[in-house]
Amino acid sequence: MSGARGPILEVEDLVKHYGGVRAVDGISFSVERGAITGLIGPNGAGKSTALNVIGGFLPPDSGRVLLDGEDVTGEPMHRLARRGVVRTFQMARVFGGLTTIENLLVAAPAQRGETAMGLVGGKRFWGGQETEHLERAKEMLSAFGMRDKADEQARNLSGGQKRAVETMRALMARPKLLLLDEPMAGLSPSLSKQLEDLFLELAHDGLSLLLVEHSLDTVERLCSKVVVMAQGRVLAEGRMSELRTRREVQDAYVIG
Amino acid sequence: MGAWEFYLIVLLVYLGTDLLAAWGLNLEFGVTGVANLGYIVTIAAGAYAYVICTLDSPASAGGFQQYVGGFGLPFPIALAGGVVAGSVVGVLIGITGLKRLRQDYQAIAMLVVSLMAATVVTADTPFLNGNAGLVILPQFAPLSDQDPELQRWVYVGIVAVCCVAGYLVLRRFTTGPIGRTLRAVRDDEYAAAAIGKNIVVLRLVVQAAGGALGGLSGALLVGFIGGWSPGAWAYVETLALLTAVIVGGMGNDRGVSIGTFVIAILLLQGVQFLPQISSRLGLKEDLGWIVLGTVTILFIWFRPQGILPERRPKYGASP
Repeated sequence: MSGARGPILEVEDLVKHYGGVRAVDGISFSVERGAITGLIGPNGAGKSTALNVIGGFLPPDSGRVLLDGEDVTGEPMHRLARRGVVRTFQMARVFGGLTTIENLLVAAPAQRGETAMGLVGGKRFWGGQETEHLERAKEMLSAFGMRDKADEQARNLSGGQKRAVETMRALMARPKLLLLDEPMAGLSPSLSKQLEDLFLELAHDGLSLLLVEHSLDTVERLCSKVVVMAQGRVLAEGRMSELRTRREVQDAYVIG
Repeated sequence: MGAWEFYLIVLLVYLGTDLLAAWGLNLEFGVTGVANLGYIVTIAAGAYAYVICTLDSPASAGGFQQYVGGFGLPFPIALAGGVVAGSVVGVLIGITGLKRLRQDYQAIAMLVVSLMAATVVTADTPFLNGNAGLVILPQFAPLSDQDPELQRWVYVGIVAVCCVAGYLVLRRFTTGPIGRTLRAVRDDEYAAAAIGKNIVVLRLVVQAAGGALGGLSGALLVGFIGGWSPGAWAYVETLALLTAVIVGGMGNDRGVSIGTFVIAILLLQGVQFLPQISSRLGLKEDLGWIVLGTVTILFIWFRPQGILPERRPKYGASP
């Protein structure tokens, strides 16, 4: 595969307007392979819009998105997901009518039960694969300390639990690039800490993550590289410890 | 043998055809979240397809009614024709509203399709004989040279077999991984897309399956009553099925079956037995609709999950 050793994702001159508002105004940056890249900036900087365009939720007005060197600009979400780009949302979105464990199971990739053969063949055709998925889902729930919530309807979970379910669900889809929109918001400090450790571990195992996050301390602990956005543009790039001392970054956070 | 036995036969055929239709609508709306307010059109398509498959060409049939086609096909093939027609029309209705519209707009778009279809069929007489509708002569007789009562019981048996087959097909869609995926699409289409589900394809497949059930329902019904006209498939008929789905329990196949019995048989037939309270024609039918609307509102207020709520499989909370 071309560029298999370079960055996993490259964003080139990406532009997204809402009417007259230039929410994303020509940004370029790259996401490192097997590492956590942070995307920070004050409210209204365009971070979520950038994530929405990269994740296929919104089509860009211009610019390119390259995944492993391949142009995937404007591809719809479900196709990007099948390429391994899976995202979570700023407001946790769970499947409320399904149970917690079903929320995980539904995300397993290439399910035999969803195919025409699966409809005709029934459980004999997909039962084996389903059992494997079930084992994985149970392990993940245990790792997140939510094993006792397996059969709870997801709509009855607390805000923090829903967020955790969304993260587990994204991991269940076996992504190679995970786009996370403020995954720690609303989580208890202990679950936050657990999640941080998990992200570091996943990155160590080769997963690439792009993390939109408000807490600069979290970003400093997790991210090898940080992209700072303000008013739709990339203001600075580098390590958090260096960026903290830079004047324009401080100004952006103070002035907005 | 008498009026009551005939009435019982009619009720059983109504129940069977209403069950098939309600299951189809539940698959689309209750399970997948497509608010198909034009669902009745798939039933109408199945019925009309059955009629023109069964009838000989208009000229050879005496020319007293106009229609396209007229193929003189045997009963099983005409029934299959109804299933295919319902399925195709289901997909066409789906295309109008699925690609870019939010659920509330989908519902409106599909309701409009229902009204347009009725208008076209009514206005274009050469197509399907317009407002007068089509009559099948002679009516389908499962067994030759038998008395009519026995024929009708055999027809009830055919409907029952179709219901069993329809239910087995339905369960393939509403259970297992695909049933889970469809419910995920219903609960949050964006989150479903974000984990790789192709929303448009999934919904169109469901429209095809739900439409096939509707088409089968329409074909079986017209095979029994022997005639079909725009009056039989006004848009409000969809609302009766929708009430059955809501009252029975959205997304629960057994619940919807109970809801169909309660609404289509107990309620809508029950009002027929009220004593005459006014000389106004059609009062009991109107009363039926009033009660139907009231029941829907009461359920949405006080028991939105229906008689039998949706149930999900349990995997056990401990390892």
